[in-house]
Amino acid sequence: MDKGWYVRFLFVLATVVGSWLILWPSVDKWVPAPPRVKTMFQNRISPGLDIRGGLRLMYEVEVDEAVRDRRDLRADQLLRTLGERYGLIKKGVVPTREQLQKTAQRLQITPVGERGMKLKFRDNADLAKLDRQLIADYGDVREKGREGTVVDLDIRTDFLDQIRETAVEQARETISNRVDALGLREASVTAQNADIIVEVPGADEAAFQRMRDLISKTARLEFQIVDDDSTFVEELTDLPEGITRHTETVSAGTSKPAVTMSYIAARGQGARQKLSDYIDTLKASGKLPTDHEFLIGEYSRADAGDKAAPKAREEAWRTWYLHGRAEITGQAIKDAFVANEPDTGKPYVAINFNDDGAEVFRQLTAANIKRRMAIVLDDRVASDPVIQTEIGGGHCQITLGGFRPYNEVINEAKDLVVVLKAGALPVPIRPSNEQMIGPTLGLDGVAQGVRGAVVGIALVLLFMAVYYQVAGLIADLVMLINLLLMLAAMAFFEATLTLPGIVALALNIGMAVDANVLISERIREELRAGKSARSAVDQGFGRAFWSIFDSQLTTLLAAIVLFQFGTGPVKGFAVTLVIGICTSLFSGVFCSRVIFDWLVRGARVNSLKVG
Amino acid sequence: MEFFKSQSHKVIDFMRYQRVCGITSGLLVLASIIGLFYPGPNYGIDFRGGTELEIELRSKVTSEQLRKTVEDLGYHRPDVIAVGASANRYILRIQEVSSLPAKQVDKIEAGFKRALGTVAVDGFKVSPGGDKIAVRLSESMEPDAVRAALETSGARIRTVTVFGAPQDHRFEAMLVGVGDELVRGLKSKLGNAIPETPLRVEWVGPKAGQQLRTAALQALLYAMAFIMVYVAFRFDLRFAPGGVIALFHDAAIVAGMYVLLQKEFTLGTVAAILTVVGYSINDTIVIFDRIRENMARMRDVGLYELINISTTQTISRTIITSAVTQLSILGFFIWGTPVIQDVVFALTIGFISGTYSTIYIAAPFTEWMDRRVLRRV
Repeated sequence: MDKGWYVRFLFVLATVVGSWLILWPSVDKWVPAPPRVKTMFQNRISPGLDIRGGLRLMYEVEVDEAVRDRRDLRADQLLRTLGERYGLIKKGVVPTREQLQKTAQRLQITPVGERGMKLKFRDNADLAKLDRQLIADYGDVREKGREGTVVDLDIRTDFLDQIRETAVEQARETISNRVDALGLREASVTAQNADIIVEVPGADEAAFQRMRDLISKTARLEFQIVDDDSTFVEELTDLPEGITRHTETVSAGTSKPAVTMSYIAARGQGARQKLSDYIDTLKASGKLPTDHEFLIGEYSRADAGDKAAPKAREEAWRTWYLHGRAEITGQAIKDAFVANEPDTGKPYVAINFNDDGAEVFRQLTAANIKRRMAIVLDDRVASDPVIQTEIGGGHCQITLGGFRPYNEVINEAKDLVVVLKAGALPVPIRPSNEQMIGPTLGLDGVAQGVRGAVVGIALVLLFMAVYYQVAGLIADLVMLINLLLMLAAMAFFEATLTLPGIVALALNIGMAVDANVLISERIREELRAGKSARSAVDQGFGRAFWSIFDSQLTTLLAAIVLFQFGTGPVKGFAVTLVIGICTSLFSGVFCSRVIFDWLVRGARVNSLKVG
Repeated sequence: MEFFKSQSHKVIDFMRYQRVCGITSGLLVLASIIGLFYPGPNYGIDFRGGTELEIELRSKVTSEQLRKTVEDLGYHRPDVIAVGASANRYILRIQEVSSLPAKQVDKIEAGFKRALGTVAVDGFKVSPGGDKIAVRLSESMEPDAVRAALETSGARIRTVTVFGAPQDHRFEAMLVGVGDELVRGLKSKLGNAIPETPLRVEWVGPKAGQQLRTAALQALLYAMAFIMVYVAFRFDLRFAPGGVIALFHDAAIVAGMYVLLQKEFTLGTVAAILTVVGYSINDTIVIFDRIRENMARMRDVGLYELINISTTQTISRTIITSAVTQLSILGFFIWGTPVIQDVVFALTIGFISGTYSTIYIAAPFTEWMDRRVLRRV
């Protein structure tokens, strides 16, 4: 026997032992595992919703927000179109801040209630530019009445239901995408009138919490320009206890490279709440202009060159005074991923915009050179880089975290990527109910499924042994190795085992036998041609190998494509398929060869019984 | 043991049936595709939604017992889910919905408007589950009056409530429907354990929306394109269309059978079709591989004969593999939930079709391509 055989045999043995160790904690109930194994290998197969039940979360979609959003969108569009008609805004180009301000001086649009708006024109000539066709083109807007130069518009009642339903469906799909992105966990996401129901298998509170966080993140990403021409913060007089005013020197456009601007900040426990309470009072008293936003963000050490800089790890928050309109939103995102800054090692999220987004971003940066742009995520300022030059190509990055430990930041970055890729929720959602639920399938159903799988696998084993005799017994042995490997892979990836998953396991075994059938048939052909057992094995493997290789590779290719383009269950299916192909290639080709070689070389069997 | 004695001197003429099989399969695939649009698949709860009840029982009933009772009442594949710590609380999910025919909806709406007289109806909408009517009126009204107005034209109402802000004048009328029928049925079987009214009855939307359907189809098309490129690269350009056509054929036949038998189309069916696609291409490639091997060895033999030889040589493997694969899922026909049995049914159809299409579609189509298309160019 050559040395190579021992190496290969040891490799097979090591794989089998390793797989068993990985799988052991998952089957602890039937084969008690020593505590040492349990602490070393913590990944387990988790039973799915149908087998063990899980958590049922219910969310209420704030559908009326969708109506408000539609109204705001129409208001923006109207302002821009009329600005174009007044000759203040160039057609087809993203308007600059100044152009919109000039338009707003001639036409004031104020929201009324949840679906109405009031248009106040400077004079009748301007009013005349608003024709019926313009309103009719939107389809969902109607004129309620007019008085002098004031026109009342609102969203048509017959469109309200449609807007709300679309919002619920979009929210459902977004949540479903986010849940998918967490991996193989088979959760179910359904909509029920204005509610969304998420059912998560398992009983792991930490996993549930991550799921909750991920679901309720709105993930509304907005890019807003910082208003560095205003004295709003400087003029605030009634700062409460614990909130302090500071100044910073910033660049406010090409003509003003260094201006001194004020901001307010708070430190320590409850600092964020303190600031947001104060901002709420400003809003309530009407001091904060409606076309501006006063937002909070983390106060990082890096951007504080003054004495107000907080000590590392201490909670600290500050404000930004922003122009209210979002220039780009998360809808323009094509791709997002986590990366590390080369010199500081700080994690950041890199974003690629789609073509439209890239163009808007280019125009936005071109129109605001040397101004600060705030990157706002769920109403929190993530960073405020100064735009140095026009940025084409549609790339941008978000730096996270000022005072928090690295691990926390990297996890936040990963979750941010998930939600950015899955898209923002069209409207906010609110958790409304939560309950633990039992298995959707009865115990007898599970028992039946397991029995069906055992019978199926036993039939295959029996058939192979009878039909191919020695080669069949070898096939049976490698088939059991294959089953072990597949289960170990499921445990390693913490896959969820559902009843259909059990069917897939049995089926995988059946399909994996193909490799052994091909090999056995070839060996049989060679034996019949009068070859010795040894050369029949060599030739049989050599010839069958390319059939197996090409057929499995083609299937693998299909699986990868399904994974890339599929969603939800299709993706889960593709992962199972890939795992099945890899384990069956290893067991069917590599392990079989080791055993056959032992027979014809080690045991020097001269006549091989292949049925 | 050996079922198929392969004798190298005796070649079975599979290609003889090239035309018959091609035409028959073509017609079947065409029929399947037409069937997918008209009458269309019978979508199950995953795609269409259903009705969900939450119910608090008055005394102990096990979930098995409850499930059995619901099934005995004639509901198809109910989900019976125990809720939380309280042992007697269950969620029942059935795929039946209280559908209101469009004609009746029109009748109710007309009757409602008539009954209201001067009050204008701004919105009138029946939920997709047929369990609820949402109305929006121009002025305020008492819920009882709304109820009376709806009932004039025969709508059976359980409750009417004000919905949303009072100044909106929106009302929701819950209809008597599938949920109430189920509770009545349960009461007749389990008696006092069943309360008069469930905690809630609601229509639930589908798990898989339009997005999944398009994504699955798109993924399948991309997979087919990649397989074509791979086969053309690894084997020969002539082989590429045959393999993909066989694969498409098998997927279509499974879907077609589902339409024909009006079996329920669920997420499990989607998985089954994808499995069949994987099996089909796998099976086809093995024969292509043998043809390629023989092509190199027998240079003077035409493609027609070459395919016959190769198919004959591999027929044993083709049949054994499909038989073994079938064996592995045989147990589920006897021991399996109805959902699993449907999946296994789809797989069986697919494996039969996959084996057939490898022999009678993929290879013959390659020969036809070679003869009819490529030689002319």
